[in-house]
Amino acid sequence: MPACSANCGKNAILKRPKTGDALCKECFFEAFENEIHFTITRAKLFTPGSTVAVAASGGKDSTVLAYVLKLLNEKYGYNLKLVLLSIDEGITGYRDDSLETVKQNRDDYEMPLKIMSYKDLYGWTMDEIVAEVGRKNNCTFCGVFRRQALDRGAMLLKVNYLATGHNADDIAETVLMNILRGDLARLNRCTSIITDSGDGIPRVKPLKYTYEKEIVMYAYFRKLVYFSTECIFAPNAYRGHARVLLKDLEKVDPAVIMNIIQSGESLCVNETANMPTLMTCERCGYGSSQKICKACTLLEGLNRGLPRLGIGKSSKVKKLIEQDDLKRSAAGCCKSKNKSDCGNCACNKNEIKRDLSKAVEELKI
Amino acid sequence: MCSVGDDNLEEKTSKYMEPVPKFKLDDNKCNKCRASTPCIVLRGKDAYCQACFLSGTTHKFKAFLGKHRFVYPNDKVLVYHTEGHPSTSLLHFLRSGLDLSTPKKLRFEPIVIYIEDKIDLSSEERSDAAEFIRKQVEEYKFPLHYISLCDCVKKNNKVAECLVDDISKLSIGDNDKENLNQVLNSKANTTNKRDILKIYKKTILIEAAKHLGCKVVFTPELGIDIASQLLTNVSLGRGIHLALDVGICDNRDEDVKIVRPLRHFEIKELAMYNHFNRLEVVAKKEKLENIYSSVQSLMKNFVGGLQNNFPATITTIVRTGDKLAMEKSLEDNPRCVLCRGPQENRNEELTSAESTSFSHWVSTRSPQYSMTPVERYEKSLESFSVAGDSPYCFACERLSHDLVVS
Ligand SMILES: [Zn+2]
Ligand SMILES: [Zn+2]
Ligand SMILES: [Zn+2]
Ligand SMILES: [Zn+2]
Repeated sequence: MPACSANCGKNAILKRPKTGDALCKECFFEAFENEIHFTITRAKLFTPGSTVAVAASGGKDSTVLAYVLKLLNEKYGYNLKLVLLSIDEGITGYRDDSLETVKQNRDDYEMPLKIMSYKDLYGWTMDEIVAEVGRKNNCTFCGVFRRQALDRGAMLLKVNYLATGHNADDIAETVLMNILRGDLARLNRCTSIITDSGDGIPRVKPLKYTYEKEIVMYAYFRKLVYFSTECIFAPNAYRGHARVLLKDLEKVDPAVIMNIIQSGESLCVNETANMPTLMTCERCGYGSSQKICKACTLLEGLNRGLPRLGIGKSSKVKKLIEQDDLKRSAAGCCKSKNKSDCGNCACNKNEIKRDLSKAVEELKI
Repeated sequence: MCSVGDDNLEEKTSKYMEPVPKFKLDDNKCNKCRASTPCIVLRGKDAYCQACFLSGTTHKFKAFLGKHRFVYPNDKVLVYHTEGHPSTSLLHFLRSGLDLSTPKKLRFEPIVIYIEDKIDLSSEERSDAAEFIRKQVEEYKFPLHYISLCDCVKKNNKVAECLVDDISKLSIGDNDKENLNQVLNSKANTTNKRDILKIYKKTILIEAAKHLGCKVVFTPELGIDIASQLLTNVSLGRGIHLALDVGICDNRDEDVKIVRPLRHFEIKELAMYNHFNRLEVVAKKEKLENIYSSVQSLMKNFVGGLQNNFPATITTIVRTGDKLAMEKSLEDNPRCVLCRGPQENRNEELTSAESTSFSHWVSTRSPQYSMTPVERYEKSLESFSVAGDSPYCFACERLSHDLVVS
C-alpha cells in the first residue's frame, strides 16, 4: 500500500484522479474540503451575510455540496444562511425516495428545507400535465419546466444565491456537448462558475473543480446518505455522446477533465461570428431565445386548454394564440381549463447512467 | 448533478442529431446538371456525375483560397506533402490551377516539403516511401525539399541545417526511433509524445518556410483531421490556441502563415477525385493502434464513428473551429517557448489550471497537526503560488516534464 503523498506517515486509501496524488483518509478529507473553500474564496462566490439556497435533489452531488457548505460555513465563518431547495415535479412515485433523502439531509445538517412543487411554481403538477397532453409530449413540458424550476424557486424564497452541485465532470461534458452541437454561444459561457439566469439571483457552482469520483469517495468515507439514482430523464443525443466520450477520455488520462475545463475557460469566439443573442422572456424574465420563453408558452397553452401550443413550431404560436383569443372573445369564454388525472412522466429510462458503482473500487488502493 | 434540464434545447429539431438520410435517386440524374447519370453520392444525399463532381471539387478548393486571400501573386507557398489521397489531390489542384490559361489561373509558386518521420517502419520501407514521393512530386514539376524529423530534433531544431534538396542526402537511420525517444522522457505517454512531435513538425514547417522564402504553408488536413484535432486540443487544455491550431489560418508566427486548404473536404471526395483523374497515390503505411493508447487516436475513432451515423458531425465541429478567434488581450503576452502561442493571463480569475495546482499543492504538503485546521489552511495558502514565471503555456507546461532537452 503506497504512503500518503502528504507524508503524514499513514497509508493512502485513494489515488486522486485530479492530480494523481495518493492520500490517506484524513488528508483526503482536508484536501477535498479546503479545495472547495479555495474555490469559494478565490472566485468570490458569496458575500458574507447572504442567504444561499442549495439545490437539493437527494443525489450525491447535492448531498456533498450541502454537507461541505455547512462545514465550511462554520469552519471559516462565511456567515451564510443555508437553505435546502428541492423541486417536486409531482410525478407519482418518482420523487418519493429522493425527497425522503433530502428530508434526511435537512435533519442531519440542521438546514431548513423548502420543497417547491411544479404546482407551486407553475400551477400544474406533471401528473396533471400528462393528463392534458398525453405521455408522448410530457417530456417536453417536464424538461422545460425543470430548467427554470430552481431559479423560480430561489426567487420565491428571496435568497441571494442559488448553489448547484454541478461537478467537474458535468462541466467538461457540457463543453464537449456544445462543441458537438456547434453551439458557440453556450460554449463561451458554460464554464462560468457564476451565471445569471436573468432574475438577478446568481447561480454558483462550488463543486466546479471537484471530480465526480472524489465526490463519490467523499460521500462514501464520510458515510453521507444519498439517493443513488440521480436522473430518470434521458439526456439529449449530443450530451449522450459527450458523456460516452468523456468516460473514454478519462480512461486514457483522468487529467483530461481539468484540461477540458481549462480549454473552455480560455477559448474565445470570434466577435464577427453571428451568435444567437440570449434574450430574456417578456413575461418571466428568464433567459430565452424567443420573446416569450418556452415555459411561458407551454403554460399559456395549458391554461388556455391548448396543450399542444409550444410543442410544435414556435413560429405558429402567435397565430394560434390570436385565433384562440378571437374564439374566446366571440364566445365570452374564460381563460382557464384544468383537469387532473394521473400518468407518469418517467417515460424515458434509457439514460446512459454514469457508472459510479465502480468508482469507489477503482480509486481504492 | 443532473444537467439534463439545463440543456436549453428549445426546438425539437436541435435536440436530435440528424441521422444518415435514406438515399434514393429520384430520376437517376446528376443533382447539378440534371442531365448525366450520377456516379458519386456525397453527404449521403447529393448525387453528381463525374464532370460535375470534378469541377465542383476544384471549385471548392479555389473558392477557399479566393475567399480568404492568404496568398498573393508571385508569393512562394510551402506545401507540406505526405502519403495518401489528400496530399495527392492537393498537388493536382495546384498543378492544374497553375497551368490554366484563363483568368482563374493560380499565380503563386509552390515549393514542396517532405518531412521524413516514419520511425515505426524499417529503414528500407522509409527509403522506398521517400523515393515514391520524389517520383510523384517530380511529375508535378514542383521543387522538393526533404527533412528528417529525427535529424532535426537531434540538432535542436536547427531546420536550415537539416533541410536537403537531394534525396541521397536525406538521413534515414536504423536508430532514429531510439534517438527520437531519447529527447523525450521514457515515461512520457503516447498522447504527450504525439503532441510534442506535432509541435516539432509545425516548427519545422515554419522555419523551413522562412528559409525557403515562403510566406504561407499549405498543410493537407481534411475535415476529420481538423475535427479530431479540435477535440484533442480541447482535451489537452489547448483551448486558448484553438483558433490557431485548428482554425482557418495559424498566424502565430509574424512572417509565415499556416493554412489548411483541405479542411472542408472529406476523404471520399478526394479519393474519388484522384480516381477519376487517374492519379497515382503514394500509399500510407501505418501501424494499427489501440484506440485507448492516446487521446489523439481515441478522438479520431470517436469522430469517425459519429460521422458514420450523423453526417453533420464533422462539418459542425469544423465550422466551430472556423468561428474561434485568438483573444485580443493575450496578443502581447509572453510566448510559450514550445508551441510559440501567447501564454495565458495569470493570477486574474480562478482557472482550472490554478485549481489543479492548488489541489496538487495541498495533496503533497505535510499536515502540521500542531496548528488548528484553519491555521493549517492559511499556511498552505500563503506558500501556494501559481507558477508565475513558467516559460510555457498551460498545455506545454504539462508537456515540458516529458522533454529531456528543452
Ligand atoms: Zn495523509
Ligand atoms: Zn417566460
Ligand atoms: Zn452533372
Ligand atoms: Zn505552449
